Amino acid sequence: MTQPYIILILGYIFGFYMAWNIGANDVANSMASSVGAKAITIRQAIFLAGILNILGAVFIGSHVTNTIRKGIVSTDIMTDPHVALIGALSALLAAALWVSFATWKSLPVSTTHSIVGAMIGFGIMAGGFDVINWGKLFAVVLSWIISPLFSIVIAFIIFKIIVRLILSKKDNFTQALKLSPFFIGITFFVVILSFLFKTPLGKRLALGSQAALTVAVLLSVLLGFAATALLKRYVKDRESGAEAIFQRIQVGTACYVALAQGANDVANAIGPLAVIYFLVKTGSVGAKVPVPVFLLFFGGIGIACGIAMAGHRVMKTMGEKITTLSNTRGFSVEFAAATTVLVASKMGLPVSTTHAAVGGVLGVGFARGMEAVNFGIVFKIMVYWILTVPAAALTSMIIFKILQFIF
Amino acid sequence: MRIPFFSMFMTSPFEGLQEHAEKVKECAWAFQQAIECHLADKCQTFEEFREEVIRLESEADAIKRRIRGHLPKGTLMPVYNFLLFRYLREQDAVIDAVEDALDWISFRSEPGIPPELEKEFVALADAVIDPIEELSKMVAEARKYFRNYSEDQRVIIKNIIRTLRRQEHEADKAEDIVKQKVLNMNIDAVTVFHMVRLAEIIGSIADHAENAGDMMRAMVAR
Repeated sequence: MTQPYIILILGYIFGFYMAWNIGANDVANSMASSVGAKAITIRQAIFLAGILNILGAVFIGSHVTNTIRKGIVSTDIMTDPHVALIGALSALLAAALWVSFATWKSLPVSTTHSIVGAMIGFGIMAGGFDVINWGKLFAVVLSWIISPLFSIVIAFIIFKIIVRLILSKKDNFTQALKLSPFFIGITFFVVILSFLFKTPLGKRLALGSQAALTVAVLLSVLLGFAATALLKRYVKDRESGAEAIFQRIQVGTACYVALAQGANDVANAIGPLAVIYFLVKTGSVGAKVPVPVFLLFFGGIGIACGIAMAGHRVMKTMGEKITTLSNTRGFSVEFAAATTVLVASKMGLPVSTTHAAVGGVLGVGFARGMEAVNFGIVFKIMVYWILTVPAAALTSMIIFKILQFIF
Repeated sequence: MRIPFFSMFMTSPFEGLQEHAEKVKECAWAFQQAIECHLADKCQTFEEFREEVIRLESEADAIKRRIRGHLPKGTLMPVYNFLLFRYLREQDAVIDAVEDALDWISFRSEPGIPPELEKEFVALADAVIDPIEELSKMVAEARKYFRNYSEDQRVIIKNIIRTLRRQEHEADKAEDIVKQKVLNMNIDAVTVFHMVRLAEIIGSIADHAENAGDMMRAMVAR
């Protein structure tokens, strides 16, 4: 077997492992609020998350990946295929190692940050510090701070609206039903927009921003009212009030997060793999490489496997631990998280789903929606978020040197 | 810590608050039994009930310390933490006052409460039982309110607080009757002091319950 093929096989293994990790750890972000609020069972959550992550990865996941995530590292170093090959593999390996270490030591790290850090490490090794686009890196790091803030604000506003317009009203069941077209509508609006702007299918439709907006508004209004008609028909549990309505809506938002997650995170696992694949097949690589659908599918399957194998334990924990989340809160958290992720990926920023979900919970906490949320833990989490980048970079550098020695 | 989503959720202080309120409620029964026994002719079990109250008080204390000790800075709650602490202090003062009252009786268990005052003391003790029991109900309803933020629920809590205020007023009147009667009886000064002080301590149980109600009112303010 030739050397590039060995590297490709290794790439597959570690790409799958990364995807598996995303599934195992980040399933909490999409399904925790729903399982915690008892909107869906653990089995349903695993099934839904698995399927939707695959769908998100294949249909909304980026079909063209920047060889080095979002241009943080200059592509000059990619001119030598051999270096690029080893670099992509060492980045993947380093990220995988770092994620395993974090799992072992119970540290909260993000797969997104690991891969960004690892790519930087490889860039420095291959071309020195000059190849790093510090401005770009700064923008990315900034997005890690802005995205949770964005999520906090959205969750805060949504929950405040729910309290003000629905919960505090006399007959909150009727009120929730009356306003549900709005809540369902805005959810659909974001999903449709991201679908139109981000997917190949949407690009093929080639709608201008104006036209896309119009289509999205019309469709979401239509779907909002249609869903409300269904709710009116099937939800009869007036006793539980607004929560009964939101219990159904929440199933939708949970799917929304899972979809966004699949779309956003699949690149963490298969981005470097796509580079390796492209190099092995064509012998050269540019600033961007197309990602074959089967690779996206491969990544989606990896995520789904992680969810299926490790998800159960994670979900059980949340069912027991997160008892203070009700359906209205869960809805607010999920809506904020998914919107943040979709908006950020639209802007080309590699944000982490975890950030967005954490931000969502804090937003509801600030809106006084939870009995107790520990804000202080955020600073601790942040330290690891930030430490991840240099740590993964360093690991990647070492692995790059070792691989260079071997091959 | 592995999954940041989980590490944000912490044990709710309201759970502890509820637990604490249950302890307070339990001690109401023991208090009533102790007083009734003390007023009876041949009381054997007063000390047992007093021990029971002391045990409950120390358990409640442990819960109080647990709540205070496990609320790190930056905990987001439906209420300000200082309100929660002040509420807890008042709720804890209720059980402290119950213990104090029984202690005070035990310091001079002979000759005990003069027979002429028995009726008035029974009335006073009965008047403070209801507010004690109302507290756990209030905490449970408040937790519901922080979940559903419904106006109806807020009204329920406000009604409980109103009831507490009324009951405190009743207890005040019962306390005044005892004091008035004691001070106009022809008995020795030590007994007078013992009885007046006892009436004040028992009366303070309802005062603290009312204060807890006022703190709760601040917590559910919009």
